[in-house]
Amino acid sequence: MNRQAIRWLGTVPFFAYTAIFLLIPTGEIIVQAFRNPSGSFTFSNVRGLFDAQILDAFETTIKISLITAVLGGVLGLFVAQAALRQGGPLWVRPVLTTFAGVASNFAGIPLAFAFVATLGSTGIVTQLLNSLGLHIYSHGFTIYGMIGLSVTYMYFQFPLMVLIISPALEGIRPQWREAAVNAGASSRQYWRLVGLPAILPSLLGAMVLLFGNAFSAYATPYALSSGYINIVPVLIGEAVNGDLSADPQLGASLAFGMIVVIAAAIAVYAVLQRKAARWLR
Amino acid sequence: MSNNKVRPAAGLSRRELLQRGSLGTAGVLSLGALVTLLDACSGSGSSAASGPLPAALGDGGMAELVKKAKSEGRLNVLGVPPDWANYGQQISTYTSKYGIPISSEGADDSSAEEVQAIKSLKGQAREPDTFDVSPTYALLAQRQNLLDPYKVATWDTIPDNMKDPAGHWAGPYWGAISFGTNTNVVKEPPKDWDDLKNPAYKGMIAIDGDPRSAGDAFGAVFAAALAHGGSLDNIEPGIEFFAELKKLGNFIPAGVSPANIAKGATPIAVEWDYLNLGYKKEFKGNPGFEVTIPATGVFGNFYCDGPTKNAPHPYNSRLWLEHLFSDEGQLTYLGGFSHPARYQDLVKRNKIPAALAAQLPPASAYESVQFPTVAQTDAANKVLAEQWGPKVRG
Amino acid sequence: MVALRSATRKRSRTGSGARQPGQAGRRRMAGSSWFWLGFAAVYLLVPLYSTLQFSLQTGAHQYGLGWYGYILRQPAFRQSFVLSLRLALETVAISLLLMIPTVYLVHAWLPKLRPLMEFICTLPFVVPPIALAVGMIGLFQGAPALISSTQILAFAYVIQALPFTYRSLDAGMLSIDISTLNDAAQSVGASWRQTLWSVILPNLRSAILASAFLTIAIVLGEYTISSLLLFSTFAVYMQQIGTSQAYAAAALAILSFFLTWLAMLGIFFISRRVGYRSAVGMTR
Repeated sequence: MNRQAIRWLGTVPFFAYTAIFLLIPTGEIIVQAFRNPSGSFTFSNVRGLFDAQILDAFETTIKISLITAVLGGVLGLFVAQAALRQGGPLWVRPVLTTFAGVASNFAGIPLAFAFVATLGSTGIVTQLLNSLGLHIYSHGFTIYGMIGLSVTYMYFQFPLMVLIISPALEGIRPQWREAAVNAGASSRQYWRLVGLPAILPSLLGAMVLLFGNAFSAYATPYALSSGYINIVPVLIGEAVNGDLSADPQLGASLAFGMIVVIAAAIAVYAVLQRKAARWLR
Repeated sequence: MSNNKVRPAAGLSRRELLQRGSLGTAGVLSLGALVTLLDACSGSGSSAASGPLPAALGDGGMAELVKKAKSEGRLNVLGVPPDWANYGQQISTYTSKYGIPISSEGADDSSAEEVQAIKSLKGQAREPDTFDVSPTYALLAQRQNLLDPYKVATWDTIPDNMKDPAGHWAGPYWGAISFGTNTNVVKEPPKDWDDLKNPAYKGMIAIDGDPRSAGDAFGAVFAAALAHGGSLDNIEPGIEFFAELKKLGNFIPAGVSPANIAKGATPIAVEWDYLNLGYKKEFKGNPGFEVTIPATGVFGNFYCDGPTKNAPHPYNSRLWLEHLFSDEGQLTYLGGFSHPARYQDLVKRNKIPAALAAQLPPASAYESVQFPTVAQTDAANKVLAEQWGPKVRG
Repeated sequence: MVALRSATRKRSRTGSGARQPGQAGRRRMAGSSWFWLGFAAVYLLVPLYSTLQFSLQTGAHQYGLGWYGYILRQPAFRQSFVLSLRLALETVAISLLLMIPTVYLVHAWLPKLRPLMEFICTLPFVVPPIALAVGMIGLFQGAPALISSTQILAFAYVIQALPFTYRSLDAGMLSIDISTLNDAAQSVGASWRQTLWSVILPNLRSAILASAFLTIAIVLGEYTISSLLLFSTFAVYMQQIGTSQAYAAAALAILSFFLTWLAMLGIFFISRRVGYRSAVGMTR
């Protein structure tokens, strides 16, 4: 019992730190979400979240976060596995890992510009496609729409996945593969029965991270699509961070809404984890 | 690279690394803390002034103010990028004239961030002595008791609609919404709002961000309203106009950055004239760039400067304001392509060099310029918040 | 030596017969691996190339490195980059010190805490940075010296990097067989601290590296809190250039990308040497 108590004590630094620097500010936000400007308790801010535009913003943000989390997750997994396979040239891993590290946070105005310079109406890939007869802009594609924004998000989503999932992939012992092959399993069977279950918890956790990452993205959608696409962090920025209006209550209630969504995402993740654990057994 | 084997106790190197690493970190952190403690003790955050602060130039006049400012030894300004209305030159002139160094921080902060910074840094040596925010936030800061009143020597020649009657803030310069066109991409620049509907401009027209949060994007919508039967009390026609532009495919949501303009991604930039003219100077022909004030719907606005309460260098903030509103300071604004607040007064006294005046579009283009009051801005903002999303974003 | 080598060869020869399908599988996997790596390379490099191409335009139809020289000569560039890099390393140190023992304890001994940790460590995504900064200021009102120094940024950055550090370390811990390692260590009487230090940590190298890289990238790109507290960090400098200059901004974006990459490569190789030396220690 004594040993266990010491172990519990060992987590105190973390909880103390997060209490001071994270939980208290979060608490303040939640309190403010339920307060009106004169200071009394009210539900009106939270009720205001059900306005059509705000609901639309939440829907769009959740949609784009889910899409880029799953796509980015899968893509990142394939790329990480490709880099980790035995027998590749030695420089592949450090180059990919470090490059992924930088790319995972390349966002905001530089990223928006890079994609506008690539896939915008005068972008080099657009011009290349035009010369090949594929006039994507005449067919309604625009870098500023949902697809364009998702493609831009993927730039930092899949490298993030590569970084997170590589340690998990490394943990897969080559002997497991050898054993499976010796037992006559094909590559697909090996992955379905051995490889994937081994990394599934990490995979799901990484996708939650990607979801949160996309969900909270502000600078990139603001620089790229703030006139076309309704995104919650951009709405928060308008409410608390602009030149024209100050509506801290709205900002706080929007943040509260985001907290609820993230809590729901984690709940879904916990359920999936338990199902995966059962499958593993 | 497989980690099958459990490694026994680490070799000397890893322990060494962690020891050195943690010592190093502890060292850096404690050194940092020590330095700042010393700094805080020496450079006191509280105001060095004794007695009440002046609300205008006293009997000693400018000489007295300069003397007191020099004894303070520093000025902290907030929210003034060097390329914005020539603040870079204002700063260098001030420093070379009075020998007082200026610390310019938070240059790209929005008005909300500036007010928050003033609150966050209250009582510290780094607290800003002065600021440059939109009228909405100047009023907010005033209401939150963050400002001191001070009326500069030239106060009476500042237009009434650009200053606080009690003297808490005033607008030293103003600008109007203009069209900036990358002439490498667009052969025929637009001259008026309805020109923007030209199908040749497909995918080319951009405003600087979201009108519900960015002052210049807001100005663009308001200007469009003025050109289509709206007024300072009615911004709806502007929203309708941009909705139509979006339907035509001419309006794109990308932000207006110099890189986007030069790249040809946003070849028609609807922006403050002093910013567009600044880009033109910066581009030096690469790309070619033309700036026009729309023939109808001329919307202007200004940013407000004033002294913060309990500032660390209060006499310097007052001297800075005197400098900005002096003839010399006002002409510096003109050099930065923005209209000084006291433009009419300077014209009357024949103080404007012809060469300087020629850098801006002709005065006739600005004749019909209109400025909103804070009340009109707030009302328009509410309408925007309701309608911009459904009508324009769709 | 020769005996060892021939032993290995013998092993693969006997394996080759039974491994025929496996070998063919490996070749097919090799092809698809190169496809995915190539895809990643194109996706990551083409947008960079577009920016690079734009940054080389020094005049109408003139190309050169002029803008790079311009940026490199700016004192503000060096100062802000050094400041942000220093803050990044501090943040990494604080994060790892805080998180490694905690994640280990939760994984090995306190699994009930896991959901709570998950929630806390994902919360920073949804708390607006302005709230973090204001909350922090409020708490430190009594110590203005601390607020004036850039150190306070490191405390906020640890929180912002929290989701990423937690997830990397969590994935790393999941991939090593903690229970076996724990039992082995416990059976020789090691305390949890000794176990962590001597047994778990060496196996977490790539997870720790991943967490360090992510933290460094985040700190170098963090804008909101530093601009709010009026500090001139690297992201603040990048914003300033981005709103006032066209080609120089593109050059700066490329420079920042590659400088960050070099910093990470440096850390990667330093950690390799450390790892190698501890492996050498093992054979002694």
